[in-house]
Amino acid sequence: MVSPRAVAADVLVVGGGMAGAIAALAAREAGARVVLARRAPGATALSSGAIGVAPDPLALPGEPLRAAREPLEAARRLARLRPDHPYAVLGERLGALPEALAFAARVLAPLLAPPLERPRFLATPFGTAVPAALCQRSQAAGDLLAVDGALVVAGLRGHLGLDAALAAAGLERYRARGGPRAFAVEVDPGLGEVGLFRPHELARALEPPGAAEALGRAIRAALPAGAGAALVPPVLGLRPEARVPERVAAAAGIPVAELLADVPSVPGVRLQAALEAALAAAGVEVVQGALQGAGPGKPAMVGADEITAPRWVLATGRFVGGGVVRRGTLREPVLGLPVQAAEGREAGVDLAARPAASLTGAARSGPQPLLSAGLRVDALLRPLDGRGRPAADGLFAAGAVLGGHEQASDGTGLGVAILTGYLAGRAAARPGGGE
Amino acid sequence: MDYDVIILGGGANGTGTARDCAMRGLRVLLLEKADFGVGASGNSSGMIHGGIRYMLSDRHVTALACRDSGYIQRIAPHLLFRIPFLMPFTTRAAGATLRDRAAWYATEVYVGTYDLFQPLKRGKPSTRLSADELYRLEPGLRPGLRGAVTLDEWGIDAFRLCALNALSARAHGAELRTWTAAREILAEGGRVRGVRFRDALTGEEGEARAPVVFNATGAWSPALARRSGAAVPMRPGKGVHLTLDRRYSNYGVILSAVDGRQMFVMPHESESIVGTTDDDYYGDPDDLEATNDEVEYLVEGAASLLPGVRNARITRAWCGLRTTIYAYGPNEDALSREHQLHDGAAYGRAGLLSLVGGKLASYRAQAEEATDRIVALLGRAPVPCRTHEEPLPGGDEVPDPAALARAHPVAAPVAARLVYRHGGRAREILRLLEEDPRLGLVLCRDEGILAAEVVHCVRHEQVRRLQDLRRRCRLAVGACAGLDCARVAAQLAARELGWSPEQVRAELADLLDAGWRERRPILDGAQLVQEELVRGAHAAAGAPW
Repeated sequence: MVSPRAVAADVLVVGGGMAGAIAALAAREAGARVVLARRAPGATALSSGAIGVAPDPLALPGEPLRAAREPLEAARRLARLRPDHPYAVLGERLGALPEALAFAARVLAPLLAPPLERPRFLATPFGTAVPAALCQRSQAAGDLLAVDGALVVAGLRGHLGLDAALAAAGLERYRARGGPRAFAVEVDPGLGEVGLFRPHELARALEPPGAAEALGRAIRAALPAGAGAALVPPVLGLRPEARVPERVAAAAGIPVAELLADVPSVPGVRLQAALEAALAAAGVEVVQGALQGAGPGKPAMVGADEITAPRWVLATGRFVGGGVVRRGTLREPVLGLPVQAAEGREAGVDLAARPAASLTGAARSGPQPLLSAGLRVDALLRPLDGRGRPAADGLFAAGAVLGGHEQASDGTGLGVAILTGYLAGRAAARPGGGE
Repeated sequence: MDYDVIILGGGANGTGTARDCAMRGLRVLLLEKADFGVGASGNSSGMIHGGIRYMLSDRHVTALACRDSGYIQRIAPHLLFRIPFLMPFTTRAAGATLRDRAAWYATEVYVGTYDLFQPLKRGKPSTRLSADELYRLEPGLRPGLRGAVTLDEWGIDAFRLCALNALSARAHGAELRTWTAAREILAEGGRVRGVRFRDALTGEEGEARAPVVFNATGAWSPALARRSGAAVPMRPGKGVHLTLDRRYSNYGVILSAVDGRQMFVMPHESESIVGTTDDDYYGDPDDLEATNDEVEYLVEGAASLLPGVRNARITRAWCGLRTTIYAYGPNEDALSREHQLHDGAAYGRAGLLSLVGGKLASYRAQAEEATDRIVALLGRAPVPCRTHEEPLPGGDEVPDPAALARAHPVAAPVAARLVYRHGGRAREILRLLEEDPRLGLVLCRDEGILAAEVVHCVRHEQVRRLQDLRRRCRLAVGACAGLDCARVAAQLAARELGWSPEQVRAELADLLDAGWRERRPILDGAQLVQEELVRGAHAAAGAPW
């Protein structure tokens, strides 16, 4: 029998996705000793790899891309329309958003491009443009407002994942709003039979010496006159150290960017890897395993480690992450906190035992209380019990475990993770934090 | 007149009758408001059974069903699969009362009588299983069962059955219009003279003229008839099925629901299907969804003999409306499964023929009877029916999946699914790989869907919307709910059909909507996780949210 290793820390962060990692890094920067316990890599690895903060709910359909509001203003507009959204719950503290984004860009600097005042408009495989407050360096050159000349969508011969003609036809629609001309070309990446490759296999195949360069040369050969940048499928390497995007761009002779990804998401995997690298560099101890514990100040078991910390940040995610589960009833499995937040008329109602169909609407794209179920918190990010009082001293929550937003599909998931992770991490770093 | 007969409805009855009429040389137009099989046919249990349940009340229904089951095996051998069913004895083994023994004896006699019908459908005779034998076959059954009898049935992909009948009709000269609804049946001087229709995708309205209109619109019949000044009485009954993410039994298991109704759990490919409910339904047939209590009812019933089902991941809850013949008084279960042809002459609509009732298993015989009547109404000389002899598309020279997998770059399980869905036409699909090796990509590993299969269906199987591929090749209906297959399939369809970027996104949204309606009542456990994943992935890729 192995006796448990006792670890004492100031802050225990539960969850290793974007919210947990940012919380741990923010607490660490504020001088706290931080342990991060995680069961598995977070759902961040499944994201598109770019960071949307808030789609502007008041943006007009045909307005020029340049008219886009800065992320904070878009988030404020969203908060006014959706009173249960974490942005609204934070009240004045929403104003910390630019600071939080700058923090994330700094700690993830090798991977992320520096933020601009305005969102970047990044292309999806359908040729739509999505505003992103932060994005990876490999995505930044695809910003529709940054392309100097025509945007060339380069499909890879033999790869069905991207229909370049379709994407280019969609992007052409943005010309009226200030976007570039868009063309489609097909290039041979020189990897042989790639037709049956999955995205991560293709990404790995581009890493060895010569492979990225061959793709770059093929792009250069296919470029029409006046090309300002090339967009390729999101497969430019799994490991940032392989510098695939830079090598492709150097050989292509123009800026090259990746489209946004669905699953399996190569950029999402890179984002998760960058979080882990940042945690290691900052000296956050990461322990792996399911956590059993009764809350801040009491010992918690993770594998063979017994961790005691006076303050906790719960950043366990939503359903994919396992921070909220439903087996007949909705539960928060770590501390048994009430699952009660949702949007619309279900807000604040105890959702636990309600049948699934009563928590969903018939229209798929309408509000779905079940899919926005999570913890309810006060403006200091302290989870509330059934009577609306903080559930435990020293307990904070961040990211998708917070209810009130459909983080997977409403375009605010990673923005909420960064902002609430940053605020919760800093609050947890101070004794009596957040008071 | 433009046509000899206009057929309304693309279910098994409509497509089967279109095929028969076209094969007998009639000029046929078939109008379907959505896609083939979207109503009761595709949402049935998908069984070409002999109707043992009807043996006591409608013995000739059983005989008809068994004989036709044999014919359907002959014309579409690839589409049928054998389902041996177990009927466990649920009463106590020890200290059985006289009443228990009488019940066992009655069951054996009942199944033994059914054996007399089995040769008609190439079924195997029933056997009596001891408790040991039963648990060796199905270890997941709850303890304490005394034994079972077996009975042999056949399953089918009912969506494909409808599509194949339609395609065969088209090959014999029929004109098919899907996503085109009949707005009104036109009449003049006591006779029908045609149909006014509207194409839901293009908005085009038109009239087609024919002296005979065959109304096989199932649960939509009464409303259509009312709009056209006629009446089609029926008692529509809602039936809900659940799909479980894996097999909870390798045999079909017949069991009792909490209210004593008969239910079943049966294997289909790598999944289990639980069915069914039967309740009168008077709502809008276009707005049909399973409810939480229906799901609960089915789970409770299935778990009574297969306790593992209580923890199962349910991947879909799907439903349809039976169109049983109207009767006042009987419970839903006791309503006759017989079918009737209503002649519209009584309402001043001579030439209008409406079909009510019937079973999927007997669709071919019902279509034959309807076609005989249509020929008579047209005053033509009788032409013999051949629908029981001529194979459906792909039903001849069905290849061996293992041999296909050796000859082509395709995995054996994928080849097996391909042959199951397409029979002899699997060869044509695999030939697409020779021109374009990319089409060897397996889009969906749950359902074994090849990119080439999507392309083939779009080119040759009357696909107008992306959601039609749910029914042609099970796109986005597996446990993955369309996670990483839907977008690529949409791109492939777009290329074939010339969709604009806006259309592709609208079609993808429509496909996801269709899946959402089937999953809304069952979001729990791992399936709720999957739902979040699917929504996230499609939102990230720019599908409309």
